[in-house]
Amino acid sequence: MTPVFFELKNAVVGIAGLGGLGSNVAVALTRLGPGRLILADFDGVEESNLNRQQFFLDQVGMHKVDALLANLHRIRPRLDIIGHKIRLNPDNIPEIFAGCDVVAECFDRSDQKQMLVETVLTRMPETFVVSVSGLAGYGRSNDIVTRRISKRHILVGDGESGIGPGVPLTAARVGIAAHHQANAILEILMNELNQPRF
Amino acid sequence: MATLRINGTDREFPENTLPATLLDLLTILQIDQATVVAEIDGAIIERKNFTATPLHTGQSIELVRFVGGG
Repeated sequence: MTPVFFELKNAVVGIAGLGGLGSNVAVALTRLGPGRLILADFDGVEESNLNRQQFFLDQVGMHKVDALLANLHRIRPRLDIIGHKIRLNPDNIPEIFAGCDVVAECFDRSDQKQMLVETVLTRMPETFVVSVSGLAGYGRSNDIVTRRISKRHILVGDGESGIGPGVPLTAARVGIAAHHQANAILEILMNELNQPRF
Repeated sequence: MATLRINGTDREFPENTLPATLLDLLTILQIDQATVVAEIDGAIIERKNFTATPLHTGQSIELVRFVGGG
């Protein structure tokens, strides 16, 4: 497949969490063709994931890392992908995502989001982080925005729509947030790091 | 009168009511400390240091609060 931008050939992107955000960010980035993707998740594919995540019914029971890697390689067989079946914490994040230009925060829980963003900002001084807060429900497409919080932290979301009773996660709105994330990552790679790193 | 700039908006505290620490401020704002990434004058304050971080008038504080879903 022809790369969209040859400038991306040295880009390395980490994806922390392979749920509604992470699986969609991974598919978008795979189609763009970066140098390498690093995936991390500890979970398996469940049937309840299929309403918004980029897995298939016959993959239920597989590890998410294996299932997504297979799906991404069906799109771009020669993409360099490294998968880690691991629960991320402040000690292993700098090792797992070493060398990443950008890490996408794609967790579900708010305290895990906080942990990932704080760890990248304090312990990985060369790495950008693109995180998400506020994507549950439906409608209000234009309330989901991309904001620059600081030099290395970009935040996507409406800032307030958490998951809760009567406020489910939907493929439509999660997809909007995931593609904001992918687009923010592309913008960083093209405009801020556009030089060979290795 | 003491002043903190919180997410770009000035907030005034009458004499002796300035929260002593970052954690005290989060309590006043009813923000769960487990869900917030905090910056004071451009420097990230790690969550484990929220209680040990004193506040002073004139500081600029950025609080990024995460809600669940992904």
